[in-house]
Amino acid sequence: MFQNFRLSMAWLHTWFGLVLGFVLMAIFFFGALSVFDREIDRWAIPESRFESQPMPSFDKLLRPVFESMQPSKESIEQMRSRVDGPMPERFETIRSWGAYTTHRDPVLSLFTSYEVPNAKEPEESIRANRTIDPRTGVSLPDDQLKIGSRFFYPLHYSLNFRWLNLGYWIVGFASLIMLAALVSGVVMHRKLFREMFTFRPKKSTQRSTLDLHNLTGVVALPFHFFFAFTGLVIFAGIYFPVSHSQLQQLHDQHEVLEAKETGLPHDRSGEPAQLASVDAMVAEAHRRWAERGMAGEVGFLGLTHVGDSNGYVSVYRAGTDRVALTGEGIHFKASTGEVLREDPPSTTVENINEFLTGLHLQHFRHWLLRWLYVLGGLAGCVCIATGFIFFVEKRKRQYAKEGSQTGRVVDALAVTCVTGMLLATVGILIANRLLPSSLPSGWPGRGDLEQYFFWGTWVLAMAHAFLRSAAVAQAKLNPAWREQCMALVVLAPAAVLLNWLTTGDHLYKTLSNGYWPVAGLDISLLVASGLAFLAARHLRRKALGAPGSVHRSPVLADAEVQHG
Amino acid sequence: MVNLLLVAAAIFCFLGMAWLALAMDSHWKQVRKDRLTEFRVRLLRSLGSASLLASVLFCLAADHASMAALVWTMLLAASALGVAFTFTWRPRLLSLLVVWAKAAS
Repeated sequence: MFQNFRLSMAWLHTWFGLVLGFVLMAIFFFGALSVFDREIDRWAIPESRFESQPMPSFDKLLRPVFESMQPSKESIEQMRSRVDGPMPERFETIRSWGAYTTHRDPVLSLFTSYEVPNAKEPEESIRANRTIDPRTGVSLPDDQLKIGSRFFYPLHYSLNFRWLNLGYWIVGFASLIMLAALVSGVVMHRKLFREMFTFRPKKSTQRSTLDLHNLTGVVALPFHFFFAFTGLVIFAGIYFPVSHSQLQQLHDQHEVLEAKETGLPHDRSGEPAQLASVDAMVAEAHRRWAERGMAGEVGFLGLTHVGDSNGYVSVYRAGTDRVALTGEGIHFKASTGEVLREDPPSTTVENINEFLTGLHLQHFRHWLLRWLYVLGGLAGCVCIATGFIFFVEKRKRQYAKEGSQTGRVVDALAVTCVTGMLLATVGILIANRLLPSSLPSGWPGRGDLEQYFFWGTWVLAMAHAFLRSAAVAQAKLNPAWREQCMALVVLAPAAVLLNWLTTGDHLYKTLSNGYWPVAGLDISLLVASGLAFLAARHLRRKALGAPGSVHRSPVLADAEVQHG
Repeated sequence: MVNLLLVAAAIFCFLGMAWLALAMDSHWKQVRKDRLTEFRVRLLRSLGSASLLASVLFCLAADHASMAALVWTMLLAASALGVAFTFTWRPRLLSLLVVWAKAAS
């Protein structure tokens, strides 16, 4: 089909990259933002702007909160179809309680699950969530969207497309193609080492775009490769769901055997039992970790079969000081506090798996590495964006001659997923600061409205990109690039200003208090605005200077590099 | 202390990448008018490699080995980007790294 291997790789790289690049762009960008998801949460929920807190006392503070929790009306409604007969008012049989925190969390997430009486599936659980201030136990309002950890982060791995879990599959497929694109990109690159440090913005747009594409692809190649690969490893259970399809019976039996081996009961006994002091168990876990030379804080505290004589308490360590995602879990009998089991040291295979997932999920405390990850992610965005621009640039004259609209469509989609995506991101932040704290009854929840703003802004940006795309068919520059850059120049600082007006937290204050979660996002927004301005100015000069020829800004893509 | 070690790692990583780049003819020409001799190429490559090695040692001194490996890999990427953009917009700055090589050889 092709004359040589390199040409066939080029075909693969071009067309697979074009089709899935739009998805990959979102994955990379929101992945980069997810590095600071907890910090974005602080910006979005001003009540939670205080220092990170350790796991609070269970006996004094958490227990009464857990006991007061019940599934929400919505989740009871959703469960109704999976139950024979009426739904109970209260769910009394507690399967589990869990509390989760990290070194970056001022607030504490609690989740519970309950047995569902008369459920069609005996293993059915109904869940409840709550976020509390761990200093007081007071809960935060339910409808506040954690924009970082509950919107941008799931967008990164599932596109927030939950129907049939299709989002996960699209992201997984895109990651697989990403790996293929990296390999084929290396094969087709003629001067991988000779032009490793080369970027020539003064040459033709086609040349300089390709320079930037190669530069950002090659220097961050280990990052691109490992993140695409480890992303697939993390969700291997979704992509190969053998334990819940062909091997369901084996899986169930494995659970029972595992319970026998670990001494952690698989089922309730049916006999009620009291709960001993969990704080004492946590203290014992601390002591045992220190003994092993790995003193640390509690990251996850879980109670299983609550209120039953088979109940047990699991205490996991927060992995702030290592890459590998391990908990060194210690498990106690809930009624007596005796140690049932200490998780044994990991095997080699487990070690590798924990390292690979840990390097992607970043539970460690390392600010430099976090920022370097952001840089890697944004380098990926630049690589993809310049790929689109190169595609159009290379073919535009031919398309113009043939009267083809292909270039127009690709270019408009590129605008949508570069500047349009940035506008949508700024859009949700602005909506977050503008919407009143209480909405009239009958309106959707505040968090839902914020999400509508996000998607609405993105759709508008897309419409704008297509409406202004006629120029591309004549091998000219789409003015939407510049106009959307200008919109960013105005809107990004507007978000900073609104943050100041609605919360009083201006940059001088947050910087002098050293409150980096909010200061960092404000500064990133201002930097993004500045770079968008440079890009817009550059595009304007190009458009004025050379009316016939298209010169697209490398600075535009550079704006992406810097935008955090 | 840890922060200082990481700063040192970053600086040495950048220097290492810059010297390796300067050992390439096209980049040497961006900085100097004289010829890039075979001896200079070898010297620059050794300097660059030694500097990258110093960088990895600083990373190892700052963090656990598994973490250090990630930090160093990412520093390589950041430095390479930094070096490339410096060659594009401020190549003169990099001539400071080769002042020791006498002109007119």
